Amino acid sequence: MSTSIVATIVRKDLRELRADRFFLLLTVLSVVFYPLIFWVLPSTVDETLRVGVVQRDVGPLLEGVEDTDGFAVTEFADEAALADALVSGQGDLVAGLVFPDDFLSAAASQQPSQVSLLVTAAVPPEVESALSTLVSELALVALGEPAPTELLADPVVLGEDRVGDQVALREQLRPLMAFFVLMTEMFALATLVAAEVQSRTVTAVLVTPATRTDFLAAKGLVGTGLAFLEASVVMALIGGFAVGAPILALALLLGAALVTGIGMVAGAFGRDFMTVLFISILMMVPLMVPAFAALFPGTTASWVQALPSYGFVQTVVEVSTQGAGWAEVAPDLLMLLGWTVVAFAAGVVVLGRRVATL
Amino acid sequence: MTTSIVAEDLRFSYGDTLAVDGVDVRVEPGRTLGFLGPNGAGKSTTIKMLTGQLVPDSGRVEILGMTMPAQRTTIQGRIGVCFEEKNLYLAMTGEENLRFFARLFGMRGFDPAPLLERVGLGDRGRDRVSEYSKGMRQRLMMARTLVNAPDVLFLDEPTDGLDPVSARMIRDLIRAEAARGAAVLLTTHDMMEADQLSDQVAFINEGRILTLDTPEHLKLTYGTRAVRIRTQRSASQVDERVIPLDGDGAAAIQQALAEGEVLTIHSEEATLEDIFVHFAGRGLDA
Repeated sequence: MSTSIVATIVRKDLRELRADRFFLLLTVLSVVFYPLIFWVLPSTVDETLRVGVVQRDVGPLLEGVEDTDGFAVTEFADEAALADALVSGQGDLVAGLVFPDDFLSAAASQQPSQVSLLVTAAVPPEVESALSTLVSELALVALGEPAPTELLADPVVLGEDRVGDQVALREQLRPLMAFFVLMTEMFALATLVAAEVQSRTVTAVLVTPATRTDFLAAKGLVGTGLAFLEASVVMALIGGFAVGAPILALALLLGAALVTGIGMVAGAFGRDFMTVLFISILMMVPLMVPAFAALFPGTTASWVQALPSYGFVQTVVEVSTQGAGWAEVAPDLLMLLGWTVVAFAAGVVVLGRRVATL
Repeated sequence: MTTSIVAEDLRFSYGDTLAVDGVDVRVEPGRTLGFLGPNGAGKSTTIKMLTGQLVPDSGRVEILGMTMPAQRTTIQGRIGVCFEEKNLYLAMTGEENLRFFARLFGMRGFDPAPLLERVGLGDRGRDRVSEYSKGMRQRLMMARTLVNAPDVLFLDEPTDGLDPVSARMIRDLIRAEAARGAAVLLTTHDMMEADQLSDQVAFINEGRILTLDTPEHLKLTYGTRAVRIRTQRSASQVDERVIPLDGDGAAAIQQALAEGEVLTIHSEEATLEDIFVHFAGRGLDA
């Protein structure tokens, strides 16, 4: 591989993109429009409350709860097991209730025996209210009359307690914004690659001392560089680098390389603008799911966690909304790195083969 | 002097389809080989192997004394390839296109103006290629082919579909490059063009070279040594005779010329098209 040839092709690509009005429009839209719509909020939530319960003498009463609208109950042996499940996200639990041994008798005798409520930092206050109602209903069923005292204790927040420091929905949009920008650049790269393949200008390049490796390296650099640069600008404009900037920069870089690999695949198969658009959208939709999932409270479904973009989104969420450090996001970054290697390698192989068969 | 292009027993298949089946060619410096054949005959595949775009299944390629593909990068620094497709960067100007390719050849400070002037685009170099006519794009293609002053030129249908003025300009460029000492491998459908430009022509069909010789020798070998003379003997009588050139041909011609006003005289040598049909059993457009 020749660095001077790669640099020459990169400069040419940038010149071509600069002369492309559509690409310029996309870029301007990304940098200006995305920050402007930063205030857009989601409108739907998962209304099923998955609750873990350590039951002592309320066991029979809980059998009826499963039939109650909006509740799903999982039983645990003790409080420690319930807390572990909540922290690890097992079973998509949003909260836990620990009933004391003397719950019913204490309630009947108006003694101050209270139910412990365990929640994670991401659980909204509305859940606490719903669970308070649930506990009161259980007491009503058991006693035949409303419980005389407040039965639900103050919540025990597992992990970082963000009371008074709630994550604004606007902040939750950051990963979505960042990923939109990366996707936009993916489309720009795919268009550039498709044009080069379809017009066979790449063939003219490859009968000079430039090699296929030079060509692929240049495309990788242009795609990753532009996506990283533009996503960084947008993140800066929406205040995303206020916390954990080095981690976020690394996540953006890996995310940029990830979408570049995908862009190379889309470009290799694209025959014209419309097919590039179709293939790009086909690939974008599943990749955007984790970014949308981050907008909603609760634990993310396991299939979403398996998507290539999940590591990127999760890193951005944890760092920018919870102030997570390297240790906390290491698993997500590693997963992102793995997917990036896979996607980039796939892009190089697919585009390389496409070019070789022209 | 090193032979510029040597191809020996080249073979290549696309899957089960044999595209090139034992092609042998040699082109010396300053000489032009016309590579003639119908679509799908194996011309482009052969050129792809000679220029390093494809690796032959078997056979040997040597360009300027170097082996392809082992010395591919070095060889490609000294060849120029003009493709049939107008694969130019349309969003860039003519100058930018030439500068880009000059940089790929490692040329710094390249001035595209003389080359653009040479192909008649001196005043359009700063226009985007998307604004060029077909003829202008083809001339820019030729200019791009010559950016590195190549020792070997591979030209694939360089005048296809061009207006006569542009076609003539490109033919003049090809002659000039050959005169400079470049070896030229020219593929074309145009038999007249091949006849005008080529020192040798190779007829290729179904992946095989049917014959390779000078155009003149082929025409003499496969044509008739005779002239066809039409004379007007009187106001109502036109006489046409075919006179063999062997034996007492000169006297017979003199007699024919004396018998009336000469309308036309044509030699009866075969055209390259006739010879191709003779070998392939079909024309180039079949």
